[in-house]
Amino acid sequence: MAGVVSHARSAFAIAFIAAQVALVVTAGRRPDGAFGFRMFNESSTIQVSLTREVIAPGGPAGLTRVPVTAGEWHAHDVHGVAHTIAWRDRVRRPELSVFDVEISAAYGANAQVARWTAALDDVASHLDHDAETRRLVLDITVRRNGGEPETITVVRDVRGPTAPAGGS
Amino acid sequence: MLERLGRIRDAHGAGVALGPLRVALGGMLLWQSLDAAHELTRLGYFGDHFHWPYLPEALVPSHAAYVAVVATRVCLAIMVLVGFACRPALTASGALGLYVLLCDRLQFHHNRYSLALFAVLVGLTPCDVSFRVVDGGGPPLPRTGPLWAVRLAQVQVSIIYLASGGSKLLDPAWRGGAVLADRIARHAHIAVAKGVPAWLVDYLARPASASALSKAAILTELALAFALWSRRMRVAALWWGVWFHLVIQLTTKVEVFSFLTVAMYAVFVTPDERTRQLRFDPTTALGQAIGLASRWLDWFARFDAKPWEPDDIEGAHAFVIVRRDGTRVTGLRAAATLARCVPILFPLWAPLSLVAAFTRKGELSPTRDAASE
Repeated sequence: MAGVVSHARSAFAIAFIAAQVALVVTAGRRPDGAFGFRMFNESSTIQVSLTREVIAPGGPAGLTRVPVTAGEWHAHDVHGVAHTIAWRDRVRRPELSVFDVEISAAYGANAQVARWTAALDDVASHLDHDAETRRLVLDITVRRNGGEPETITVVRDVRGPTAPAGGS
Repeated sequence: MLERLGRIRDAHGAGVALGPLRVALGGMLLWQSLDAAHELTRLGYFGDHFHWPYLPEALVPSHAAYVAVVATRVCLAIMVLVGFACRPALTASGALGLYVLLCDRLQFHHNRYSLALFAVLVGLTPCDVSFRVVDGGGPPLPRTGPLWAVRLAQVQVSIIYLASGGSKLLDPAWRGGAVLADRIARHAHIAVAKGVPAWLVDYLARPASASALSKAAILTELALAFALWSRRMRVAALWWGVWFHLVIQLTTKVEVFSFLTVAMYAVFVTPDERTRQLRFDPTTALGQAIGLASRWLDWFARFDAKPWEPDDIEGAHAFVIVRRDGTRVTGLRAAATLARCVPILFPLWAPLSLVAAFTRKGELSPTRDAASE
């Protein structure tokens, strides 16, 4: 019995250490470096602007960009009923719902760009009450370690009212 | 080598120093689980909105199940705190914490992940032999237990330092000081609000200072990863580490990470019990204070503390410590020994030891010592 316990302890210890080492070594492959203990890996900031692309007034041939203020906009659904749509209806985390304000990029710029991109995917697939918006655009301005700002633009097609409900 | 690893795996020792660690972990687990409950009421159930699981969506709990998970975490944390079925509670609490992090990477923080890992590991140690408010009944628990998971927790502490210091060393922006300079400049207001002098923050944010500080931070983390394993260097490493984390706590927002790491230093405490003697004079105010302090603050049970019989010797010592090696000290040297062993006095250990090193006062001759006792 004691031998079995000893072997079980050895197996647990080896598996635990191997898993930890693997997670640390592969942390760079994850945008947020999760499970890799890369503390204070960057001192970066992020500022995000949201824009909608809607059908231009001239007709369906072109799209025009409409800036979104504070993550909220008004739109009509397929039945013509007006709705107020808010980014926060889907994205509740405060750090992923602040627009046009420079904030700290916790876990580094790449982590925040990845999270905002995933949040955009989620919002774009849940615009059930917006039949006007064709695409959502995020302009993410990143400043890494106090350096020069760099802007990354992420565009997502809106899947529209037929999109399935539920989490991403 | 294999034989040595086998001995480490099968080693037994006193678990008394792990009791306070368990309580500290219980406090942090309770704080985190209450925070999760608060977030549940403030932001709603995370699964109803945008979330980003590592696990398949089917394994993410429903709203009702998540409420049960949070409530269970609160209960488990309380069980850990009071010592009721605390070892399984600690392991289960850590496992649930890991599960929640895997259900939504937006909730990931290094300190939450670390706390969950350490909870699982410490739950496998004899952390239930001391600091129990609730007695679960049955025969008294043995004072010693297997220490293999303590070793594993030590390895985990080193892995964290190695990963953190190593990733900084490999990053030119970190090595050069750019990261720290910008971080200090942007968090200056927090540090000043917490009492750090503004002139000091300004000085540290300068490129040359930040560069030197970066190298010191990298060196500290890498050195701690190894020095904690050396018997000769351990106390100095622990002292340096405590101050390192205190400074981080004062200058940045890291949730419970500093407290967690400092608490985990308990796994490096020598696994024995009351191997030093503390004798105090119950007729003097200082002696009484030392006696009281040893009763309430000697969390790791380092001292066998007793009052000695009052005598007529003029100028007798208020307290005397007999160290592990049998040497007897009083005065400043004894104060340094106290600081070394009493957790909340530990930040004072190095300066006290340094001052004590410049004097032979406090080393007792056997004759004088015998007379005192």
